[in-house]
Amino acid sequence: MEYIIHISILISIYAILGLSLNLVVGFTGLLSVTQAAFYGIGAYVTAILLTSTGMNFFLALIIGMAITGVCSLAIGFVLSKFKDDYYALGSFGFNVIIYSIFLNWQSLTRGPLGIPGIPRPSLFGFTFSENVWFLALSIVLLILVYFICRFITGSSFGRVLKSIREDEGAISAFGYRTLWYKLAIFVISAMMASIAGSLFASYITFIDPSSFVLSESIFILAIIILGGLANNKGAVIGAACLILLPEILRFVGFPDDIAAQMRQVVYGVILVALMLYRPQGLIGEYRL
Amino acid sequence: MDIIPQLILNSIIAGAIYAMIALGFNLIYGTAKFFDLGYGALTAVGGYAVFYFYKTLGLDLYVSILLGVLIVGVIGFIVYKLVYSPLRKRKSSGMVLLVAALGVLTALQAIIAILFTSQFQTLSQNSSSEQVFNILGGAITQTQLVTLIIGFVIMIVIGLVFRYTLFGKAVKAIGDDEEVSKIVGVNTENIIGWVFFIGSAIGGLAGILIGFDTGIEPTMGLSLLLKGVIACIIGGIGNVYGGVLGAFLLAFIENFGIWHISGEWKDAIAFAVLILFLLFRPHGILRK
Repeated sequence: MEYIIHISILISIYAILGLSLNLVVGFTGLLSVTQAAFYGIGAYVTAILLTSTGMNFFLALIIGMAITGVCSLAIGFVLSKFKDDYYALGSFGFNVIIYSIFLNWQSLTRGPLGIPGIPRPSLFGFTFSENVWFLALSIVLLILVYFICRFITGSSFGRVLKSIREDEGAISAFGYRTLWYKLAIFVISAMMASIAGSLFASYITFIDPSSFVLSESIFILAIIILGGLANNKGAVIGAACLILLPEILRFVGFPDDIAAQMRQVVYGVILVALMLYRPQGLIGEYRL
Repeated sequence: MDIIPQLILNSIIAGAIYAMIALGFNLIYGTAKFFDLGYGALTAVGGYAVFYFYKTLGLDLYVSILLGVLIVGVIGFIVYKLVYSPLRKRKSSGMVLLVAALGVLTALQAIIAILFTSQFQTLSQNSSSEQVFNILGGAITQTQLVTLIIGFVIMIVIGLVFRYTLFGKAVKAIGDDEEVSKIVGVNTENIIGWVFFIGSAIGGLAGILIGFDTGIEPTMGLSLLLKGVIACIIGGIGNVYGGVLGAFLLAFIENFGIWHISGEWKDAIAFAVLILFLLFRPHGILRK
């Protein structure tokens, strides 16, 4: 039972990440591969505030979102100058740079040693120390993020995003300043990733830079490509599939380290196969 | 030992490796026009193929290297035929190819890790006995000297082939306009297949040389490849000499950049350079 709860918590965290990235990649058509950086900023801000000041988790979560928002605004501004392949390459760059900062700003992040002993969240004297309660918290946040995404994508703002994806020139000819729309969605998406980061930090109670490497961003991208681009349900389904998959491999009887690599092989093959046979993913509404 | 001569030598050695990666990548990008990230994993394939033939089977050094280079070329060719060629025939966007290439990279890396474990391995038998040359107060090993020479030989050969042979002209023609080359009777499918074979083989050779100089691990490819891509972009993408120039420039910036700070910042410096170039000089130093 404890095991199922653990898996469910991971699925909710990655579903939040998938939902957030889908806003940028699926709905706006910008191939961003830097989500793990924002996920990491959220996690680190929460971890540092909780361990050094003993602040309330929910306050730390909001401060984390604010700091991530500021960082993503700067990054999004630079990235907005690029197009297509170069956008992806530039976003790789920011992921590597932020990762290097986690690794090297040792006075703040303790570098490769990581930050241990992050407390679980508590609210009005109630601590979410039991995993069941933590799962409830993550699901509440996931539902919140899901409905915000649904609201955004269903609104007129969301329709402008989709038209940027389809034909940026045309929509700007109608007088929309596409730069502001792209920046806004990039920042919103980064702040959602930061929520996932805060949850992750306080769930695992330990973070180090290796959780926020470039391949983590690629994994998040794989989630939404599998689930389906530009579909909010797709992001959740994709997260569930890609988290459950290695667990199934483990049950089949592979040893742990082989199972970890098998997971990589399988999701690499899934990416290739999807691009070849079903570029819109399981239930996607947009193909790259 | 003075620091400045050693920094210069380190830059030249790193530059030679980046230059080889950039040469292979540039060749592929120049003809097929997409960011072949799977190429990164092929450097590791080269290293591990030689590890298997030379260390495990105990074959002769040169036979092992020859076999290793051939195997990488063949794998590059197979990946092209299985994945990229069908996608290109369907006129998929650069982003689809990029995601498929990410899948190839992830899967190949993990397959290597399953076959050979993810431990760091070295190819040279006993590195302590290797001859070390002193040049202007800095040290350079025999392997590093060989790397440097091979890098320049490959650059010159590619330059000559491009200029004087029918094959080279066909490759250039495809790079300029694939449709028109087809119309005038160039067998584009065949030529691009060869380009993938040759480009991958060069990448594999770079991986092998790194294996003899420092060592190999399954995940070495991505960061190497990204350095090669950065070198191509700052030198001028699609330009053979530009890639080499960019490689040495990048190596100098990286090595002098960490003069006063920790070496862990190298990757961040490289990407900062990339983003600056993309912003202010997106076509690189040398135009094609």
